[in-house]
Amino acid sequence: MRWLTFLVVLVLAGGLAVPGIAQQKLKAGFVYVGPIGDYGWTHAHDFARKIAEKKLPWLETIYVEKVPEGQTESFIDKLILQGARVIFTTSFGFMDGTLAAAKRYPNHIFAHASGFKRAPNVATYMADFYQVYYLNGLMAGAATKSGKVGYVGAFPIPEVKRHMGAFALGVRAVNPKATVHVRWIYEWFNPTAAKEATEALIAEGADVFAFTEDTPTVVQVAAKRGLPSFGHYSPMHKFAPKHMISGQLVHWDKIYVDFLSKVYAGKYTAENLANVDYWWLLAEGAAELGGEFGMPVNPEWKARLQAVKVGTPDLGRLSVYDLVMKRLAQMSDPKVTFEPFTGPIKDRKGVLRVQSGKRMTVGELNGMEWAAPGIVGPWPKEP
Amino acid sequence: MLEWILTAIVRALAVSTPLLWASLGEIYAERSGVINLGVEGMMILGALFAFVVAQVTGYPVAGLLAAAAAGGLAALLHAFVSITLRANQYVSGLALTMLGLGLAGVLGRGWEGIPLLNALPEISGLTYLGLLLAVGLWLVLHHTRLGMVIRSTGESPAAAEALGVNVHLVRYLCVVFGGTMAGVAGGFLSVAYRPSWTEGMTAGLGWIAIAITIFAGWDPLKAVGGALFFGALFHLSFRLQAWVPPEALRMMPFAFTILVLAATSGRRRGRGAPEALGLPYAAGER
Amino acid sequence: MKRLGPFSVERVLVPSGAWVLAISLGAIAAALVAAGVIFWAFGINPLRAYAIIFAGTLADRRAAPEILRQAAPLLLAGVGLVLAFRAQFWNIGAEGQLLAGAVASTGVALFSPIPAPWLLPAMFVAGFLGGALWGLLPTLLRLKLEVNEVVSTLMMNYVALFSVEWLIHGPWKGKTAFGFAYTDTFPEAARLALIPGTRVHWPTLVLGIALAGALAFFLGRARLGFEIRVLGENPTAARYAGIDPFRTILLAMAFSAGAAGLAGVGEVAGIHHKLLAPGQVSLGYGYAAIIVAWLARGNPLAAILTALFLGLIFSSGDVMKVSLQMPFRVTDVFNGLILFFLIGSERLLNYRLRWAPGDRAAETADA
Repeated sequence: MRWLTFLVVLVLAGGLAVPGIAQQKLKAGFVYVGPIGDYGWTHAHDFARKIAEKKLPWLETIYVEKVPEGQTESFIDKLILQGARVIFTTSFGFMDGTLAAAKRYPNHIFAHASGFKRAPNVATYMADFYQVYYLNGLMAGAATKSGKVGYVGAFPIPEVKRHMGAFALGVRAVNPKATVHVRWIYEWFNPTAAKEATEALIAEGADVFAFTEDTPTVVQVAAKRGLPSFGHYSPMHKFAPKHMISGQLVHWDKIYVDFLSKVYAGKYTAENLANVDYWWLLAEGAAELGGEFGMPVNPEWKARLQAVKVGTPDLGRLSVYDLVMKRLAQMSDPKVTFEPFTGPIKDRKGVLRVQSGKRMTVGELNGMEWAAPGIVGPWPKEP
Repeated sequence: MLEWILTAIVRALAVSTPLLWASLGEIYAERSGVINLGVEGMMILGALFAFVVAQVTGYPVAGLLAAAAAGGLAALLHAFVSITLRANQYVSGLALTMLGLGLAGVLGRGWEGIPLLNALPEISGLTYLGLLLAVGLWLVLHHTRLGMVIRSTGESPAAAEALGVNVHLVRYLCVVFGGTMAGVAGGFLSVAYRPSWTEGMTAGLGWIAIAITIFAGWDPLKAVGGALFFGALFHLSFRLQAWVPPEALRMMPFAFTILVLAATSGRRRGRGAPEALGLPYAAGER
Repeated sequence: MKRLGPFSVERVLVPSGAWVLAISLGAIAAALVAAGVIFWAFGINPLRAYAIIFAGTLADRRAAPEILRQAAPLLLAGVGLVLAFRAQFWNIGAEGQLLAGAVASTGVALFSPIPAPWLLPAMFVAGFLGGALWGLLPTLLRLKLEVNEVVSTLMMNYVALFSVEWLIHGPWKGKTAFGFAYTDTFPEAARLALIPGTRVHWPTLVLGIALAGALAFFLGRARLGFEIRVLGENPTAARYAGIDPFRTILLAMAFSAGAAGLAGVGEVAGIHHKLLAPGQVSLGYGYAAIIVAWLARGNPLAAILTALFLGLIFSSGDVMKVSLQMPFRVTDVFNGLILFFLIGSERLLNYRLRWAPGDRAAETADA
């Protein structure tokens, strides 16, 4: 029987050695929709990938940029061939391809950004900042002299409409007569078009700018005319150090670090992701207010924002700067004591869209097609 | 209303600047008998090199010179393939567009997201210089012996050669000149129009410059009108969105190009292309 | 006549097929050597790079079928362009014609009452007509008003692009697309069959091969094929032969643009099952098809090979992006270089090397 004891000991030792093997690196593959140099959406994901790699010593990453939707699966194949065990697909259009690939690789872990279909080995995640847009809107309402705020939009889809809506609600909260003028460029990335759209808005009298486009063009154009603006997605402060008031910054790294750590710890496996959905906002730290990390409001603008006073139903009369900071604190609170899309809200046609006292659900936000009051300009598929 | 029109004119001037430079260069290349569809590729290389050199040296003008050199070198490749090797000019130009966009995208990695601090003003020397150049190039083309030589090379290379003109040399010079102009046009985009570099930032402007060349009937003075017209169209496609559906407006510059070409073409004399445009020429062969 | 070592260099009017192949392969090899400089600049050993590319494309069982998948639209559009180029019509608009075909077939797939077995054939017919119609305007403008077709077909690409944007953001935006710019997805009956275990929609590929074969036969035998050949090679002779350029070019372009339209049908019915952003429907296949057609040197059957080759180039670009972590534009560098070397080497086609070690007389006779 001795040999049997010996065998048992051997097997046990082998079993104990397994955690040692688990100390090896985890490889994650990222599938991007745009080029990493676009300075917008894809740039932000790639930036976060690098942060995650720095923070997690056991993490190795690999990426592929500019992946066409029709080739999602084929690129996932390639990443897995390179040894990736976790795959992040970072565009809505990758949804069906991701799920199909997940079926073929049941032991791999997938996470899809901005989608809604999940599976035992497919989680979903999204970092959104309509809340930050609202804060930007408050400041834009205070900064405009002409009462006309310009917005250069990429595509008229719910995500952009939601951001514009929150922005317009913010503008109107400070400046009830102000309007938000919209120009669409029908591209995520086209600096020349973004530039001329901004010029068109300037010619119409707009004097504060926000936008959705993957370059700092709008910021640069506005600054050249001495006009203030809000950055989008990536830190753009350096493109207009005097004129950028604030902006929205994204922290995909918070989600990536959280998710990958849980995978590494064995908490997330290829069997239990069907209900894992990250919808992370200010409170989770996935969004940040500012045009540069760690700088919510450009110091150049602090005094000017403090000079404008505004009345609110819940906080009384206070300066716009204080209002922004209060609202930021409320939305950063884990309990989220303030929410921009709280009823009653009528759309610009006067139709009641959010019942009094109700907050819009995530589903409603993701399908939002209506235009908030104060928005002026074409609005394709307006209900 | 007056202000509305005035701002539109100013914007048209700004947008027309790169279009004018690029199309003036293309006019000379085509007048000598060589069509170069690589304008987009030469422009994007110009944009990249202008930005990099302006950023490194601190002098945007140095950047523009680098852009001219980059555009000229790219055009030299087209010249060699289409003049010396007598390859198909259309295909060579398309290859140049692909190569230019590709090289700029590969080499430009890492230069994105950096602002150019000492940028040139938008309505700057380049705009006025472009207008002056248009007049000068028109004078040269129509009122000097050099212009006559260029035109005859494009109309009838055999006859030009019989008169002692070195057809290949003239074509080489015109094509390379066209490249330097396109390079500067691209440089304008990255050091003045929107002072920063992004992959793919020319976004089809090179093709519009080629359209202007034809629209202008290969005439440098008319190219000014053409460039202003397309500059205005591009600007107005955002200006008019409040009244007209945005998608329709975005396609307007392209649809208008076709309409305008249709309306201004026809078999009228004097508007036509140089007779030998697109045809390779071998000395003594015909 | 010149000498090159023991060879004599002779001019030939019609190069042999083997010589064309040799020169083409030589040009491609030279282009790959030139592209090696790019790898080297990125700090990658070019030989290693090509080994990785080979392992990631032809030698990879999952990736190899992707070559076929990308070759399908390239073949259809490329075969069409072979014909247009032979008629000396510079159709740069295959991209727009492809989109028009995609739009027309989407319309049939989503909004027509055609019953299941006939739905896909109807989509292909609609796609062909859609593409042909899109090519009609530049053709008429060239034939009636002498408008340069290079510019007009190119501009039509942009018009097509924004038309698709308008459709997917406006009237055709799907109810199930959750606000994103897609149409609804096609019913099962409007989806093409796949080769099992792959994502290759084989009916499109078969159609492309059939079309190439038919065109080769037609160019060689049929009266209209003869007319197109004469018109392209010698317009003056065509006039004397009583060939009507209007009718001939119109028909050639209808086929050319229609074939590109079919490529669009394959993309939406075989891959996406919906209409979506134009840059997703076509990955620049309409432009790359110009290389396919040019490489094929007017031979429709050769387009089968050249489309596969371009498919391989596209797939290689994909491998470079992943395995070598290179910028996506590297594919354009490859395409541009290959095209340059191919057309640059064309002059060599008219020469032939003859083994003639002692033949000095030819040299002096020529001088």
